[in-house]
Amino acid sequence: MTNEPLLFALPKGRLMEKSQELFNSMGIKFSFDNRKLVADDQTGEFRFFLVKNSDLPTYVHHGIAGLGVCGSDVIYESGKDFYKLHTFSYGSTKMCLAGLKGAHNNGNDAALKVSSKFTRFTRDYYNSKNTPVEIIKLNGSVELGPVLGLSPYIVDLVETGNTLRANNLEVIKELSDIKVHLIANPAYYKINYKRINKFVEDIKKGEENWNREKQK
Amino acid sequence: MTNNKRTKIPQGSETVFFEEAYIHRKLTEALNNLFNSWGYLPVETPVFDLFDAYRPLIPAENTDKVYRLIDRDGDLLMLRSDITLFLARQMGLILTEKELPVRICYSDSILRHQDSDDISHNEFFQSGVELIGKPGFEGDIEILLLLSRTISLMDIPAEIHLGSRSLFNTVFKAFSENDKNEILKMTSLRNFNELIDFCTPVMGKEKAEKTAELFSYIGNAKDLKKFIDEINKDEINYLINIVETLEKAGCADNVHIDLSEAGSQSYHTGIVFQVYMQKVDSAIISGGRYDSLLSNFGIPAPSVGFSMLQRKIEPGIKNIERFALPKIEKTLEESDIVNSFKKAEKLRSEGKIVTL
Repeated sequence: MTNEPLLFALPKGRLMEKSQELFNSMGIKFSFDNRKLVADDQTGEFRFFLVKNSDLPTYVHHGIAGLGVCGSDVIYESGKDFYKLHTFSYGSTKMCLAGLKGAHNNGNDAALKVSSKFTRFTRDYYNSKNTPVEIIKLNGSVELGPVLGLSPYIVDLVETGNTLRANNLEVIKELSDIKVHLIANPAYYKINYKRINKFVEDIKKGEENWNREKQK
Repeated sequence: MTNNKRTKIPQGSETVFFEEAYIHRKLTEALNNLFNSWGYLPVETPVFDLFDAYRPLIPAENTDKVYRLIDRDGDLLMLRSDITLFLARQMGLILTEKELPVRICYSDSILRHQDSDDISHNEFFQSGVELIGKPGFEGDIEILLLLSRTISLMDIPAEIHLGSRSLFNTVFKAFSENDKNEILKMTSLRNFNELIDFCTPVMGKEKAEKTAELFSYIGNAKDLKKFIDEINKDEINYLINIVETLEKAGCADNVHIDLSEAGSQSYHTGIVFQVYMQKVDSAIISGGRYDSLLSNFGIPAPSVGFSMLQRKIEPGIKNIERFALPKIEKTLEESDIVNSFKKAEKLRSEGKIVTL
């Protein structure tokens, strides 16, 4: 069995912070100092890569990182198959259809025109409902779509709804629950399954303890 | 815009140059020598064939990976995307049942589309063997022993994960073909929570959970025995017998029974296996038994075999210098070209590589 560290991709932003907090509570301590994007934990058991959220499936798919923390929205958009070894208690959100308050048809149009970052999800969701959909791909600030008249609807992640409210938008329909998963490249898992299974058991117990401590 | 046709390379194409190409050829030669020494004879398949001959055997999700073209008569053709499929049709055209068993080997390119963000290539080099007309245990063991020798020849850190499509078919026989395909996807993606939810209405929760535990199993033959029950006993005992026989032959060091391996192709029927290697992003060798594939092409012949994606393996081979170009030992600089030629010929007869 190899003694090389398990290679782990983390997405930049809040998910990385939460994951780091959880791993720290389990004794897996690491930090990305001085804008570095690679960090080993103190035991040498893990090597972490800090990557852009939407690029994370690419790194894991090619086995550059064997494991990763990734939302089901990003996994779906990648179109790649991964093992989902654990679902984390944090980072949950919802994929929603939204539009300008009082200026839409509740999504009951014969054909929808939607701005979204999540084009694959939107296409597949409405295809499965037999609803024709025209999708305009945007890479950010999707809320501007209805505000500036690009499209009457958006499909986007909604966590608190504050951004929607600030732009006079409202949720019309919740389309899917989005969860955060520990994912693995299947071939990487097969080679390292004993170590990874042990880690998954540790993380399940560690997350329970971490959540219990937070509630105290 | 400048005309960049001279420098533009189509997505997914690959050229292998010089020393790397030499190593590739030498390894191919070594593999074929091994296969020949086991009585496997080479077959060359056409690079394209009629798509309709294979259409029912290609899963819907893989159809869009097949390159298709139309010939001058308007027939839809496909480029060779899987040598096993093309071989099956060719064997159906020429073989009779009397000639069985037949042992064949191949080394050739296949073409499949990969996504544009995929760093692998659309053109792959596939080497492999097929044992046609040898059913059951003897055929399975022969192929697994040859697989073990093939891995030893290449000297790669490989792990063999062995499963069984027949176990899968036995356990899920109450389900429709469509449902079985759904379950197969869940099993191969180790999505066992979803599998439990899917199977509970048919099996009940307790049995669905036990089934999920069974198909999540990766380990040795001994620990698998605790899962034996009335329904699965024949299939599990068969797998255990296979591994124990490999152990006796000294060929089971890197073999793991992995029941989430239930076959990547729709034509698999019995044992199935995939081989994985450190630092390679997907399986490097796939294989298994396919007892009904050839009957689609006119000859009912139980078969078993494996194929490897050779170009994925080559960077990980230990002692690669075994296959490397020998040093060019001498460059002659005689003023008389005839003298140079004669000296060079003498040195070449001693096995040296000489340039004029």
